This record gives sequence, C-alpha cells and structure tokens, in this order.
Amino acid sequence: MRLNSPEGRPVPPGVAVVPRPASLAGLRIGLLDNTKAPVDEMLAHLATRLRERIDGVEVFHVAKQHPSLPVEPEHLAALRANADVVINALGD
Amino acid sequence: MLLISTPFVKLAQAQARILGMPQVPTVVLPHPIGGTPLDGVLAKVDAAFDEIVAKLTSPLPQASAVASEPLPEPVDHVDVDTDDEWGELQRRMLALGWGDGLPLVPPTDARVDAMVRGAGLPGDALVALVAPRMGACTVRRLASSAVMAGCRPAHMPLLVAAVRAMAERPFNLYGVQTTTHPVAPLVIVNGPLAQALGVHAGSGLFGPGPWSNGVIGRAVRLVLLHVGGGQPVDIDKATMGSPAKYGYCIAENEAASPWPSLAAERGFAADVSTVTVVGGEAPHNINDHESTRAGPLLAMITGTVAQTGQNNVYYAGEPLLLLSPEHAATIAAEGFSKDDVRRVIYEEARVPLRRFSQENIERRFWRKFPKRYRDRSLDAGVTVAQRWEDVMVVVAGGAGKHSMYVPTFGATRSVTLPVLKADGSPWRPQDGLEQG
Repeated sequence: MRLNSPEGRPVPPGVAVVPRPASLAGLRIGLLDNTKAPVDEMLAHLATRLRERIDGVEVFHVAKQHPSLPVEPEHLAALRANADVVINALGD
Repeated sequence: MLLISTPFVKLAQAQARILGMPQVPTVVLPHPIGGTPLDGVLAKVDAAFDEIVAKLTSPLPQASAVASEPLPEPVDHVDVDTDDEWGELQRRMLALGWGDGLPLVPPTDARVDAMVRGAGLPGDALVALVAPRMGACTVRRLASSAVMAGCRPAHMPLLVAAVRAMAERPFNLYGVQTTTHPVAPLVIVNGPLAQALGVHAGSGLFGPGPWSNGVIGRAVRLVLLHVGGGQPVDIDKATMGSPAKYGYCIAENEAASPWPSLAAERGFAADVSTVTVVGGEAPHNINDHESTRAGPLLAMITGTVAQTGQNNVYYAGEPLLLLSPEHAATIAAEGFSKDDVRRVIYEEARVPLRRFSQENIERRFWRKFPKRYRDRSLDAGVTVAQRWEDVMVVVAGGAGKHSMYVPTFGATRSVTLPVLKADGSPWRPQDGLEQG
C-alpha cells in the first residue's frame, strides 16, 4: 500500500553566521532577556562577572516585551548596532 | 549564544537548524531557573561562566561539521507491505511519527486525490509555512492530514483558510506551538458554510457528537504536528498539554444570537463564511441557573473570568466569552450590546492584587505595568485585557444556563479569514461543495 506523507518540507529562512571573536576583551556584549523570571537578575549577575573578569568589556541589557513573541525591531536594531556578541537567555 | 535550561535543549537545537545556524553556541543550565531561590540561579551562572566565555571565543565550526540531525526531508510517499489498514498499518504510521495517537485513516492516493479535488487548488500549491519547523504546507500535504483525521473533501476550503489564518503573523504560531502554556488554536466557523458542512453550533458543540467539529479540529492539529513539527515533549513544550489539542472547532450559534456575529463585527457579509483562529485554553464552565437580570448574571460571569493564574492577567490577551443563547438573551433583553458586555468584563472582571503572591505583584505587575499598579493598594484590580475592545464575545451552545470562558495565551491575536474558492473569491452557498 502506498501512503502519502503528510509531513511538510522545511523552508529555512537562511541566516548568515558571523565569525566568533578570539577574545571578549574590549568587546560590546548585548544581553537579550526573554523576561521570564528571574532572567533579569541572572543576566545582571552575568554582566557583573563579565565586567569583573574581562578587560574593557561593555555590557548592555535588552528585554523583550513578551517571552513568546519575537524580539521587537527596535531592540534588534540596537543589538545589531551596538553589540559584537549577543547572549540570549531563554530561562524557564 | 543561547543560555537555556535542560528541558529546552532539543527545541533550541531544532530551531537553530531550521534557521540555518546549527553552530550557534549553547550553554545549558540545570533546570529549573524560574520559581527557585535566586542564590541558586546565580550559582548556576557562576558555574557556567568559563564555558560561556570559551564557547563565545572558540573558532566557528562549519555548519556541516556540527553534530546535529539534518533538516527533515520528507518523502512524498511511503510504501508499506501490508494491507491490514486497522492493525499493522496503524503501527507503521505511529512508527513514522504520524498522528495524534488515535487511529488514522490511511492517506492512500485515491483518498488524498479526492481531498485535493475538494480544495479546488493544485496539489502543489502552497497554503502556508507552518511554524516552528517552517514546513511547507501544500494542498496535498494538508489533504493527507485531512484524510488521516477523517475529513471529507468538502472540508478542504475551510481547512485551507484555517491553516492560512494560523500562519498570519499576529497569531504567533511559533509561540503557540512551543510554549509551556496549554494553548490550542480554537477554530470558530461563521457563515452559511457552518451549516453546509455540519459544523455544530448548538447543544454539546465541543463534543462529542456526529458533526464536522471533531474531524476539522483534528485535521488542524495534525497539520501542526506533521507540517509544523509541533511534536509534544521536545518541541511542543506544554507542561500539561490539553484535551483541546486533539481538536478544537465550533461554529458560532448565529441563529440564536441577539447580536451581530463575530464575522459581522469583523466586516464580513452574512453570506461570506469565515474561520477565526483563537489561541485559547480549554474552556471553563460558568453555571448560573438563578439570575434573571443582566446585572446579576454578568456579576456571576465576571466572577468566573476574574481568576489568578491565567495569562490574560499578565499579558495583552483577548479573553473569549462564549455565552449560551439563554444567557445572551437575558443580557440582551435589557438592551446590552456586545460592546456593553465587553465593557462590563473589562471593568468588573478584575482580580485584586492581594490575590497574587508578592513575587507576582513585584515582578509581573510593578515591573511590567508600573503606571497601572505600582504604589497601588492591594485592593487595586488587575484587568483580564489591556483594552475593553480586546474582550471577545461569541454566542454558542444550546439550551441551558451554562456559558464558558476561554482564557487565551496572551502572546497571540485572533485572526479571521474568509473561506475562498479556487479563484480567490469568497465561497458562497450557491457555489456548492465537492462531494465524496
């Protein structure tokens, strides 16, 4: 018996991946908070540790409006413009 | 880089693959993160710090060199060496990862061909990309799920509209499919097609019953599983799941409603049929056999709607009130319009801050809505919608004094689309339906 597959073929949007830095020293790190508890405190703590241990690093924090919605365009633009590296915390 | 907790690793990896970036570095923190003492969470960050730095600064591997499963490449057909449709074949289909666990009508060529004819569209026509896998839902793939669910060819135009509606950006299907919340797309049918297809609007409409509600709702779920890849546990992260995830479809009881229908409110003519998808929980009953006036009845209804723990108190949702015809008649008899009901729900269905835990007051309400709740008395009421216009009111069901409340997901907006013919014009009763 021949069955028709109901599965859909994925259509990837295509994302370019940039090279990783050799060191975080002097870089700008964006922390993207999904707003689930307690990601804000968790990322604030990570920011403190990064500043303590990495020379010249700049860290800034961006929070989405809702954990289940895509990051807002203005936040995405800020990360693109101001971050060399982004850490996205998906806490639950 | 992704910082994730243990149960979400497979979802994150799957999404990274779909986005074409499987080499995105991930650091896994032991679950749980939320609802645990902060000291423990910060200790998990400290323990992972060296790994975070190392993974951010290690050379980028080629995507092809990353150990992960390739993107699924579904075949068009599967040949099975059995004709035992309700025995061995059922086991084979389960082994292929198909279905919802219930017996499936085998999607043979003849059955799927008939279903495609019911759509009136080419089999390879794209209906929509379905999140989170961003799977291409062609008419034929949709037809296969429709066959498996037990649908008839006449159901296809409605199913096409439902899948397209779910893929509209405001519905946020990615969030609906992957959240821990027990959300399911509720399909509400309006217009003459509901009667033509036997989509039930009266007594017992949520089922069970010998109507089209069950198979339409099930076909929608099968598309979410088969095309969207929303498999429970790894991708559909619903903590509890929901009986509504097996199938969730009703029609509005327009004949018994004293008010304009949902479709009419959204600008559709009475002879145009529509589907509305609402990202909602399973419904909660509202029993009131005693109230004979609109005010007391609405007080009983708002008392049921005003509950802690629902997403509608935390986010900008569209709480859905399904009024039974008898409750609607009692309310409308005193001149209340649908908008009046919306305003009452918005104004009166409020949850006093004191009913929430202090953590929720501080983290959810003071931080997210500081103007509304910061420095307010604990008697201040939390609304179930951000605007009165966001409250949805639909008349449904049959005889009796039971209405229902459907709390919604919060990160989703309902979407209404017309059911179309192949030429793109709205289906109307004189157009008829494919038989079979």
